[in-house]
Amino acid sequence: METDTLNSLVSGAIWRAEQLEAHGIGSASQAWSEVSSLEEELAKMLPAPESEGRIARRGAVRAALKAGDYARAHALAESYAAEGAAPESLKAGLHKILEEDARAMKRRFRYAAKHHSLREARDLARRFREAGAFGLAA
Amino acid sequence: METVAFYSYKGGVGRSLLLANAARFLATLGKGVVALDFDFEAPGLHYKLGGVQSSDFPSFVGGAVPYLIATAEGSTSPPPLEAHTISLPVPTGADGWLRLMPAGPAPHQKYWVAFKQLGERLRLGDPSGQGFMALLDLQARIADELKPDYLLIDARTGVTELGGLATTILADTVVCMLVANQESLDGTLTVVEALKAAPRLANQKPIRVVPVLSRTTAEPPDDERFASGVRRLLELGEGKKSQGKNEPALFVLPHDDVLGASERVVGGERKASAFSPLYKACLELFQTLFPSGA
Repeated sequence: METDTLNSLVSGAIWRAEQLEAHGIGSASQAWSEVSSLEEELAKMLPAPESEGRIARRGAVRAALKAGDYARAHALAESYAAEGAAPESLKAGLHKILEEDARAMKRRFRYAAKHHSLREARDLARRFREAGAFGLAA
Repeated sequence: METVAFYSYKGGVGRSLLLANAARFLATLGKGVVALDFDFEAPGLHYKLGGVQSSDFPSFVGGAVPYLIATAEGSTSPPPLEAHTISLPVPTGADGWLRLMPAGPAPHQKYWVAFKQLGERLRLGDPSGQGFMALLDLQARIADELKPDYLLIDARTGVTELGGLATTILADTVVCMLVANQESLDGTLTVVEALKAAPRLANQKPIRVVPVLSRTTAEPPDDERFASGVRRLLELGEGKKSQGKNEPALFVLPHDDVLGASERVVGGERKASAFSPLYKACLELFQTLFPSGA
């Protein structure tokens, strides 16, 4: 697929996700997942040192967080930061996005944050989601 | 704060009734207790604990469901816990205190409207884990602000997301109630096996499970399959240690028409209950369940 086509798809997907979010429609998180997947495809076609490549990589991570898919956001950020050609500005940008998200979680769940590591709690939440109630569907 | 969840694979085993009596027992011993109704589909702990009789309940709009809705919206200043809990009277002469966080003002229509909203806003299966985090946050806030000695949770019957989280993540101890038939035993064993294998947060102890056979009117089925299930349950959980016996036995709560109907086995009319087998069995169970309280 051409990058122009992907760019158009990304723009449309972002608009749709923003509209769904603005109207409080539950499927907004799925729309952000779609944005993240499209940005990821774009990132595969654009080298990290290029401006558009950096934007796509940051977009893929940010959209994954908006979708609530914390594990995917971290996995993408780690793989982008590990790219040989990744400029320092990209690494710092990705780190900042994840830090902002962690701070927002800490503000929102301030009581739990005093007792538990929120990152560990989120990882455990993912394991329970995958394994079903009581882990019986694992 | 010690968190004890009361769970049953099947309904109608007297789970909420046992929780209410445990709460009164602990308050009688001078402990601070918060009772939390997480049976959102069929809430009734406020009836068992008498909260519905308190003068302010008819106008009460708080509870766990309204609280979780308020925090699910990402409020920067979460509502005060006082607005979502009710202070309950404790038995005469008791030094402790008792607060109830009901599920909400059930069975009024406003509760079911809130319950529907909660399903839309706090998706426990959401990949963000926000539902999971909201439950941990509520538990931590109760510990920090209300500072009870015990948090007693009425967990949803069966296999549900909320029941799973209330037991596997929030609880230090899970009381698993069953009745004397194979269906109840098999389901309970499945859940207890899962509880014992469940992953925990780094700062949490392994889950302690205490199986309790309740509402017994006759001897349990006299066959090897049932007996082997009970043995397995006792390997995984904690049983009653009887004098002169090496093997532990299940805690058994006998059926009692009069006390069961009054819903006050402990902390009720002592004259009426002191000689009841159910009363004695409850005390025996509570002394094991709450060793620091007894």
